[in-house]
Amino acid sequence: MTAALEVSGLAKSYGGTVALDGVDLVVEAGTVHCVLGENGAGKSTLCHAVAGSLTPDAGTLRLYGQPYAPRRPADALAAGVAMVHQHFSLVSTLTVGENLRLLRLPGLAARIARVRETYGLELEPDAVVGQLPVGVRQRVEIVKALLRDPRLLVLDEPTGVLGPAETDALLETCRRIADAGHAVVLVTHKLGEAVRAGDAATVLRGGRVAGDGTTKDLSARRLVPLMIGRAAGDLDATLAGAVGLEDPEAVGPDAPGPDGLDDPGVLGLDDPAAVGLDDPAVVGPDPVVPGEVVPAAGPVRADDARTPQGAALRLREVTVRRADGAYALEDATLDVAFGEIVGVAGVEGNGQSELTAVLGGSLTPERGRVELDGRELTRALPAARTRAGLGVVPEDRHHEGCVPALSVAENLHLGRLREFRRFGVFLDRAALGRATEAALAEHDVRASGPFAPMASLSGGNQQKVVLARELALDPLKCLVAAQPTRGLDIGAVAAVHARIRAAAGRGAGVLVVSAELDELLTLCDRVVVAYRGRLLGPVDPRAADARERIGALMVGVEGERGAASGVGVGAGA
Amino acid sequence: MALPLLLASSGELLSERAGVLNLSVEGMMLTGAFAGAVGADASGSAAVGVLTAVVAGLLFAALQALLSITLRADQIVTGITANALALGATTYGARLVFGDGAGAKTLPGLDPLAVPLLHEIPVLGPALFEQTLLGYLAFALALALALAFSRRRTAGLAVDAVGEDALSADRSGLPVTAIRYGTVLLTGVTSALAGAHLALSEVHAFSDNITGGIGYLAVVAVIAGRWRAWPTLLACLVFGLAQSLQFAAPALGLHLSAPLLVALPYVFALLAVSGLVGRSRAPSGLTVPFVRAS
Repeated sequence: MTAALEVSGLAKSYGGTVALDGVDLVVEAGTVHCVLGENGAGKSTLCHAVAGSLTPDAGTLRLYGQPYAPRRPADALAAGVAMVHQHFSLVSTLTVGENLRLLRLPGLAARIARVRETYGLELEPDAVVGQLPVGVRQRVEIVKALLRDPRLLVLDEPTGVLGPAETDALLETCRRIADAGHAVVLVTHKLGEAVRAGDAATVLRGGRVAGDGTTKDLSARRLVPLMIGRAAGDLDATLAGAVGLEDPEAVGPDAPGPDGLDDPGVLGLDDPAAVGLDDPAVVGPDPVVPGEVVPAAGPVRADDARTPQGAALRLREVTVRRADGAYALEDATLDVAFGEIVGVAGVEGNGQSELTAVLGGSLTPERGRVELDGRELTRALPAARTRAGLGVVPEDRHHEGCVPALSVAENLHLGRLREFRRFGVFLDRAALGRATEAALAEHDVRASGPFAPMASLSGGNQQKVVLARELALDPLKCLVAAQPTRGLDIGAVAAVHARIRAAAGRGAGVLVVSAELDELLTLCDRVVVAYRGRLLGPVDPRAADARERIGALMVGVEGERGAASGVGVGAGA
Repeated sequence: MALPLLLASSGELLSERAGVLNLSVEGMMLTGAFAGAVGADASGSAAVGVLTAVVAGLLFAALQALLSITLRADQIVTGITANALALGATTYGARLVFGDGAGAKTLPGLDPLAVPLLHEIPVLGPALFEQTLLGYLAFALALALALAFSRRRTAGLAVDAVGEDALSADRSGLPVTAIRYGTVLLTGVTSALAGAHLALSEVHAFSDNITGGIGYLAVVAVIAGRWRAWPTLLACLVFGLAQSLQFAAPALGLHLSAPLLVALPYVFALLAVSGLVGRSRAPSGLTVPFVRAS
């Protein structure tokens, strides 16, 4: 085999933060090479260095044996390196066709036809990109990268926004690209995908290579400790879900058998008998039984001090239409009982964002009713909702969840500053600081101080602050958390999940909207599925076939087999 | 007034579509008018004057581009500062070159060329078909720019992509910085020609602040035209018509207050930008400097 890409000694730091610290990597032609790691491990930095979006401080790249030092993305594209960006490289106000014409490629129509025939990727050229569901945008992004017929394709976390069927189709596309003789670098934090689709894998941790090898040699069980730097036995089912392991029993604390993961032989990576690729228990579609693995995930019922009768949150026939007249939400009806955690699954763009917006008060439904503990809040202002006990963690942390330019203290208490007054007019900053320090300690938020700018915190710590603010509501009758762990590393995911469970344990109803099916399966008592603005289900996550049933509902198949319907990438849109 | 306004706004439209708010278009015009006047005066030839104006406009635009694109300075602050500088410098320069006599010095200017037959059309004829060579050239240039950078052409798409989402444009392989520089320099050329037209075709003299806010009105026309070429052209015509009403109203026997008529283009402009002409949306990347670091 020839090496498509050779990376040696690649280093990059931003200010004082080291993103890459001497990374070596060889990608063979004709293979799918997975790059694994937690958030902040340096995966994206590596991608951007290869795609010319940033210039490394040290290290060299070779592309098919030739020295390769792209100074801008145009250089990389000219050399035959294309990248599928995590947040896309599409101009959202232009149409699909216009975005592709921007590439200024000769024979564009023929190229589009060839990509369609080779990979089965269909496009709507006249659709405006910004109005397309995320899954479809992803497909456009992939087609855009393939149009140049690249020798090396880099995909940065491409499956984060996709449903199960779309993910399968994408992994299949990667496979075909590699089979056509090109090289694919697939960046992911989901182990299951890597083991399923990759030929080889490199695990990054803290900007260094923690381990590499072929996926035949590196089983999921051996990859986990490499990624997180601790024994997989420490993982509970939630964390296993967060890294995309479909069978928590394989790594869960209750995993039976003599080759338990605390076994130093596994960590030492000299145990070839660890569960391998061919073991369906690790990568197969076998359903999980999370409720049995993690008793903590079970429902904790409200004590009767709170309103025992009626639902904490009640949605009745909530209907929202988009500007173009299409239904974003259509007769969405849902009850969340006190002490219950209800999940909303679904491929993005099926009404989840609108549902959160309706609950948060930033969107007024065309018709329908929203009740909190029997009190109607359909048209209430956000402040009234907060007073009534409805906490909302919005989907977009940076734009809706907090004010990045203000301090942590101000963000935490923005709605309650009147509690920190001195002489009626001045702000008592000392008291504000004390209250903030207490909250930071309680929620294990790492910040340089109570008055550190919100923007200086990592994503995980920002999310903990937003969650702390909403959980501080008194009374907290219902918590709505939209994509609460998006972009967070495993430790922060665990902390957020623990807080959500604790809120339900104290009797609040909880609604979790998430694109991560594994998260919902381990966290929720009931899961409904958003599909074209309707809420389907519910599905009991403890049921043996919960994963299949939710997957089928996500693509609008009410029957048993969703995957059998032959849906492609973005077909759920 | 419609012609210099049209010319200036055709360049301004392009640089705004590419994401650079050239508030200094007024200063560029003033610089062009002054340089054109000096060049024509020194050489005795209006053509040399026009050439001098273009060179000066390019230099002025290069400064604006350096500040707002490479050094990523605030585009509104640099624009206003550049305009103040241009007003001061040209006023002072005019004292040095032309003296501070009461009457402005008459310059070798351009003479109108009437298009046979067409200029005899009532009202429209004299307005459109009795221009100087520079006037026709200006009109052709504005039209050519509108067509060359139409959204249907790759060049126009590239400009829009750079102004909407510079990061994505860069990742698609477009030369973001070069495109932005190009549009700002082009604005320098169109604005300088507009200024030269005022000094050499219309007035045949340079007077202090000869542009009198036409550059600002060009920025307004782009907003009123919702960042599209043909609506911007229409806005320029409406503003120009409102202006010419000042002179035409007495002739038509209308007794309107003169100050009101002077204010009329600006009243139209205010109405236009306050959304009465339809919803408008600026390019997402307008005034946002491009930084590749991710």
